[in-house]
Amino acid sequence: MGTSDGTVLGSTKIVDAGPETKRWNVVITSDGYRSNEMAQFALDAKQFADTLLATAPFDLLRTAINVFRVDVTSKDSGADDPSKCGGTGAKPRTYFDATFCTNGIRRLLVGNNSRVLKVISKQVPQWHMALLAVNSTIHGGSGGSVATFSKSGGAIEIALHEMGHSAFGLADEYEYYAGCSESGHDTHSGSEPSQPNITTNKNRATTKWRSLILPSTAVPTTTNANCANCDPQPTPVPPGTIGLFEGADYFHCRVYRPEFNCRMRNLGAPFCGVCQQVIVKKLTPFLPV
Amino acid sequence: MASTRKSSEKKKSRKTAKESNSRKAPAKSKQTKAATESPKALRLTFSFDGDKVKLVSQQTVEMVVPASDPVKGFSKQKGFWAELKNEQNKTLYRRVMHNPTRNDAEVFSGGPDQNISRAPAPKRKGVFVVVVPDTEKGDAVTLSRSSPPTTGPKRGLLSLATKPATEFLRFKLKK
Repeated sequence: MGTSDGTVLGSTKIVDAGPETKRWNVVITSDGYRSNEMAQFALDAKQFADTLLATAPFDLLRTAINVFRVDVTSKDSGADDPSKCGGTGAKPRTYFDATFCTNGIRRLLVGNNSRVLKVISKQVPQWHMALLAVNSTIHGGSGGSVATFSKSGGAIEIALHEMGHSAFGLADEYEYYAGCSESGHDTHSGSEPSQPNITTNKNRATTKWRSLILPSTAVPTTTNANCANCDPQPTPVPPGTIGLFEGADYFHCRVYRPEFNCRMRNLGAPFCGVCQQVIVKKLTPFLPV
Repeated sequence: MASTRKSSEKKKSRKTAKESNSRKAPAKSKQTKAATESPKALRLTFSFDGDKVKLVSQQTVEMVVPASDPVKGFSKQKGFWAELKNEQNKTLYRRVMHNPTRNDAEVFSGGPDQNISRAPAPKRKGVFVVVVPDTEKGDAVTLSRSSPPTTGPKRGLLSLATKPATEFLRFKLKK
């Protein structure tokens, strides 16, 4: 179990925008890939890098971003899939011990993040964003210091969403915790959130992203008529309009998000304009002079 | 008439969306002072076990740090962040974070709707990393977070904390 179940082979720079000391360095490593599957990991890492660099606003920040692959083999393929969560009960021997069913949650796929960071820090000391690709077709992933994702369709979206949290401090923009009809999530009665993409301030003149709201856009842009539930109304404005849309940060009312939809609200959606602005601002120091 | 105005607003909105998404390559703008002064950074690794957080290591790395979050006007905000302070306790650099010590987790349905939700995940243990500029002026690093509600259905869940964050960890940097 653990480091005796595989080998760290080394690192490869798969997207080269310049010296590691000056660029934003994304590092992706592998779990559950046997030595004869490392060519597949190379393809999977490339697919992630291609997707990242085709995603706005990273597509405009290519000259700021390096991507590294850290090859780590495992004795067996896949990830632990405990039967207590309805899995197969498989327990492959893998280097980072990635497992589904963390905390009893079927899709919560987590590796040994401490071990991941140790390996990545040794291979690419200048890393900024760490990712773990797990060789399993079961849908799953997790956030935190290491964004973890499987090979199932759409799992890269999990990695991008988690990158929004881990690298850029973005908040969740969905307006429920476990589901829309839950109790205890009616109104956000708290202080102003520190995250840049949610706010309790509905004053057009002082709200966080005021400079991006057109005078012709109503503020608030949507209001939830029934705070006991999620707001069912469709968007009243064209996609991409920045305003104040009620419902975010796990609450149905009294907290606002910048656009009707965003990757921090729904996987597969683009990052909203405010999230994109935050990402650009954070990565500006990494652009070539 | 109304229809014309609506259409005009629609066009304006689309223009705004384009502008706000800034589809031009970002210009090389002013870097943070810390980033231009020194290419060195401090990588601070913390471990957490439930609510308890401790510094595990401090490592100097030659690298640029991401631009700082606002260093003023956040005293009453809720959330989780790290600050680099000088000897006068002035904030030099601040990093807003998605609370890494939270006791719940994001759950991905895997269905065609790619639904996201959350589920309690008590007794979580792990590590997280904070990178701050390595500057002569840096004296200490602090971590601040909001406390979770103590009553009701949201009891104990850090992600649903509503009160302003307070400092819960401070340590002097090794020189």
